[in-house]
Amino acid sequence: MKPPITGRAIVEGQASGPALFASEAISFLGDVDINTGQVVGDLPSVHGMSVKGTVLVFPYSRGSAGAWRFLYQLFKHGNHPVAIVTRDPPDPSVVQGAILAGIPIVSDIPDAAWGNMQNGQMLSVDGTAGQVTPQDDAPISSPPQPEDQR
Amino acid sequence: MRLTAAEERMLDGGDGPAKQKAMSGLVQLGRAFDAPRMVEIGYAHIHAGMALYLHDVELMEDLATMGARMAVPSSVNIANADTVNWRATGAPESLARLQQRAAGAQHQMGAACTFTCTPYWAGHWPTWNTHMTSIESTVTIFCNSVLGARSNRDGFFAVYAGITGRYPLFGYHLDENRRGTHLVRVDTPLRSVTDYSALGFHVGRIVGEGVPVFEGFTERPSLDALDALGAALATSGGVALFIVPGVTPPYATTAQAFAGGRVPEQAVDAKRADLDAVYDYFCTRDDGVFDIVHVGCPHASFEEMKDYARLIDGKRVADGMEFWITTSRAVRRMAEEAGIIRTLEASGAKVISDTCPISCHFARTVSPDPKLGVVPPPLRSIVVDSAKQAKYVRDMIRCDTLLTGTAEAIETAMTGRFVRNGRAA
Repeated sequence: MKPPITGRAIVEGQASGPALFASEAISFLGDVDINTGQVVGDLPSVHGMSVKGTVLVFPYSRGSAGAWRFLYQLFKHGNHPVAIVTRDPPDPSVVQGAILAGIPIVSDIPDAAWGNMQNGQMLSVDGTAGQVTPQDDAPISSPPQPEDQR
Repeated sequence: MRLTAAEERMLDGGDGPAKQKAMSGLVQLGRAFDAPRMVEIGYAHIHAGMALYLHDVELMEDLATMGARMAVPSSVNIANADTVNWRATGAPESLARLQQRAAGAQHQMGAACTFTCTPYWAGHWPTWNTHMTSIESTVTIFCNSVLGARSNRDGFFAVYAGITGRYPLFGYHLDENRRGTHLVRVDTPLRSVTDYSALGFHVGRIVGEGVPVFEGFTERPSLDALDALGAALATSGGVALFIVPGVTPPYATTAQAFAGGRVPEQAVDAKRADLDAVYDYFCTRDDGVFDIVHVGCPHASFEEMKDYARLIDGKRVADGMEFWITTSRAVRRMAEEAGIIRTLEASGAKVISDTCPISCHFARTVSPDPKLGVVPPPLRSIVVDSAKQAKYVRDMIRCDTLLTGTAEAIETAMTGRFVRNGRAA
């Protein structure tokens, strides 16, 4: 197992799943169909793919105060991502929806690790510790860190 | 995060399971945003429990059953049905009954069932420096920018804040985030409340989550104009606070609105052509085919209800035309007693409270519980006088829109022919 990537703990809990990597910002209000889990918004990197059961990885959330509701509805329809990983901290509304739905979130993933993430790679997300751990030998890397920061 | 003894007791369950659940969520939210502590809030505008969404009403019922009670004055946001007069909107009784169940939970929790996106017109009027929370972005921006209260753009956790009387200290609760980021130079006289809506939409697209500071108004904007401006800024951008020096507490001058008095040299321009572009952007169907003319977004104030009656001026809604006026139940009651509702309804208008087109027609994009029997209405296009309504009608109920001024929208309803902005007789 690869060493964990350390980010920032946003929403607590643990979950594992295949990564779905979006290179664009996501708005839960409108970009994902709650009935199917499919990405229907204008996100070329993941358009038409399903977020269901994935670790959804995206750079940042596009603002909407209603985002919590759609994340919660994805959960109620059984079409939710099992965890969320972001580069920048997501909006308060996304955080509130994820806490309601029990979806762990880790943000502030270091740039070096960000560039190496791939679709389909199995990731374990620990939102309590703020860590993302790749589960196989796919090329994901964590930047070298001094011992005292571990 | 540093908690007081009272907050620790809530978190540990000493004050019951509802406060424990609420405080636990708020502590997680606070940690995520590096809040050093909680603040005591004075007001909460909370979730209605949306009947169209799967198990959403149960979210409120579960809290009420767990013993949740509002620790601070609380109002309730817009709902998915007019809970009294749902037939006027074509909603099935099952939907209205489910929405009424949510009201039962609200009553149990001690929240005032305002069912509106403009609770301030119903008397919920937080004052300067009151920390508060709101699930509705229009309420957040009005209370921050017009009243000088302190609110973030919240989601469901507005309920948790209401239950505990606490909110984590971050975002717009802090002085440092309540300063201007963009100077906006308004370079055209604003002729109607809808012009303020178009201005807000234009500026929100440019400033994103910034704090725009407005210069160049030829007169002090009315409360209705400020409401329209904020609603649109919060729709096209993530704006939570705008500053009009001399209006927004505590800023008397433009220099005071910027940290250190450093006014940006570059300004965002707002010219007549920019406003016209917003009207054009939301006229997505130009063949004159429309099913509903709608005014009252955000929910109309008493003053706006008077305006509508004056503009209708004894005329009748054109044959085959639906004309909707949406407002809160509180304003409706006042307008009823003033004889205004009689005048409006005599024209053939439908006065609808608790909901609005974007809230009651979500069935097009949300999957309501099949047992409710909600059928999406066959809408082709809606004429609106609000950029906020236009954006969500287009994006969420996936219906074409025609945006025009209030006077023009009413003339459209009375003649059956779409009247473009600026062309009112």
